[in-house]
Amino acid sequence: MIAAVVVTFFLLVALSMPIVFALGVSGTLGLYLGNFSLQKVPAALVSGSQSWVLLAIPTFVFAGYLMERCGMSYALVNLARALIGWVRGGLGMSVVLAEYFFSGISGSTIADVSAIGAMLTPPMLRAGYKPEQAASLVASATAMGILVPPAIFMIVLGQITDTSVVGIFLAGFIPAAVTAACLMATILVQAHRLHWPKDARPSRRELSEACRQSLIPMGVPVLIVLGFFFGVFTATEAGALVALYAVLAAVFYYKNVGARAMIRLVHESALLTGAVMFLLAVASIYQFLMGMMGVPRLLGDLLAPLQGQPWLFLLAVSVLVMLFGMVLEGLPAAVVLIPVVFPIAKQIGIHPIHFDIVLTAAVGIGLFLPPIGVGLLMTLRFADISVGQHFRAYCPYIGTLLIGLLLLILFPEISLFLPRQAGLVR
Amino acid sequence: MSSVRRWLEAIPHVAITLLMLVAIVDMLVGVFLRYVMTAISAQLDLPSVSFFWVEEVGEWSLAWMTFIAAAIGIRRGTHFAVQLAIERFPPGLRRALLTAHCCLIMGFGLIVAVFGWQTAAGNSQSVSPGLGLNLWWLYISAVAGGLLICLYTLATIVDVWRGRNPWSHAPVQSEGPEP
Repeated sequence: MIAAVVVTFFLLVALSMPIVFALGVSGTLGLYLGNFSLQKVPAALVSGSQSWVLLAIPTFVFAGYLMERCGMSYALVNLARALIGWVRGGLGMSVVLAEYFFSGISGSTIADVSAIGAMLTPPMLRAGYKPEQAASLVASATAMGILVPPAIFMIVLGQITDTSVVGIFLAGFIPAAVTAACLMATILVQAHRLHWPKDARPSRRELSEACRQSLIPMGVPVLIVLGFFFGVFTATEAGALVALYAVLAAVFYYKNVGARAMIRLVHESALLTGAVMFLLAVASIYQFLMGMMGVPRLLGDLLAPLQGQPWLFLLAVSVLVMLFGMVLEGLPAAVVLIPVVFPIAKQIGIHPIHFDIVLTAAVGIGLFLPPIGVGLLMTLRFADISVGQHFRAYCPYIGTLLIGLLLLILFPEISLFLPRQAGLVR
Repeated sequence: MSSVRRWLEAIPHVAITLLMLVAIVDMLVGVFLRYVMTAISAQLDLPSVSFFWVEEVGEWSLAWMTFIAAAIGIRRGTHFAVQLAIERFPPGLRRALLTAHCCLIMGFGLIVAVFGWQTAAGNSQSVSPGLGLNLWWLYISAVAGGLLICLYTLATIVDVWRGRNPWSHAPVQSEGPEP
């Protein structure tokens, strides 16, 4: 029966059925073959789609859309360029810094690619960066950005692994900074090797103007960090507050988004939220089946040789998640794979927050892995080049991302330091 | 397109927009009640304010919104699909395959609706803990969702036979009016 369900799923996915329905159809088939009541289908869908934790998703999605529409991303890009653009390779480094800032207000990696790709690819091309270099910088920076909260993926992971979303959010900042630092070091080397230009050094007035314009958008990460660090509110409440903050900023400060446009954004956010939530709900049928068929135990036996070495186990799971993430996209990969491997990770003593952060980083890389990572394909569209043309230039950056991932695997404290300071990890 | 059809097509879009607004406002009210009203009532020694219902309103809105938005998403292509193989198929085979997918999705929608009705009937004697609402109203969201999945998939089949692939990343343009 396991084989029938898994083969049906992969066959339907390979034949381009939307993944959520491939999961639904194969899961229903599994229930039928296993003589389970088909009432499990609607029951799982209803219980899977109502969750207080997941209510954080629509608010963060809406807030991200609205802040992007207000033009907050421009202010953040300007700040990144003013801070770092004037050193050798600074424009490239400012892509990484801008993505770090922008991810702090946006919850979706694909939104990050659109914003950062659209805003920074043209200036890089004008400054003499080759299209494949510009695309590599955008792709690798955005792959790192998934680690900066708020990320929809982290909320979903928190739900799947029954881990505090606040803990995962807090944990993300330092691993993202470590990966960003690795990327910047590579950019510095590349800049000297390829003679990349510098931006003009900004005057003190220009720098302070860039800082002033970024005050409003930077309020969001500050609100999240302080609120979570001092345990003032939950992730769901943070979502509501960030949405309110975005609406107030749009109405009273930016004044460039009308009521009609705002309602349209609410509608768009509802559509995206529906797609994410439905995927999670349908996957719960699959998870029920896998549990009933003893798949986690089977996989546990299979991975038994790795259980003595948690880092090796995490590495193996990360490789698997990266490949799944490249083919299936991040969220579907997570809902299919993580419920199966998480119990084993817990059993061998890997901290759930460490596990979640490593897998978030792995999914981020998977999304931008050649040849078919969705994020990568989208980035290449902005630079108007093919995967083949891009691959050679991209290798150092993919290598750097993998080094960053290895650091996160080998040193759990990178992920656990902030949650520990906030009292969320003992 | 007749104006009646336009209005009918707009209903699910209006519904998810309203449900989303309800969820956001509900959560903000929850934050206000928990942090502001609780402090005020404690300060003034007033009876404490109940906010048990906040969670329930948010979760029910999310459940209904999920089902309706998921159905709308079939035709708009918001559900992710791996497009590598199908884009290399000849148009006739591509159309046949997409139609077969749509039939399977409609079958899934039908199962959700039919068994959702049974589940709703089975829960019609229970009430929610916060608001005391009959759980039938929650589980009937699956029936609405299942039927909408069938309807939107049917519209998608028409699109496919008009030469569009709804699940490639180009959105379908002939969608009904948005609110």
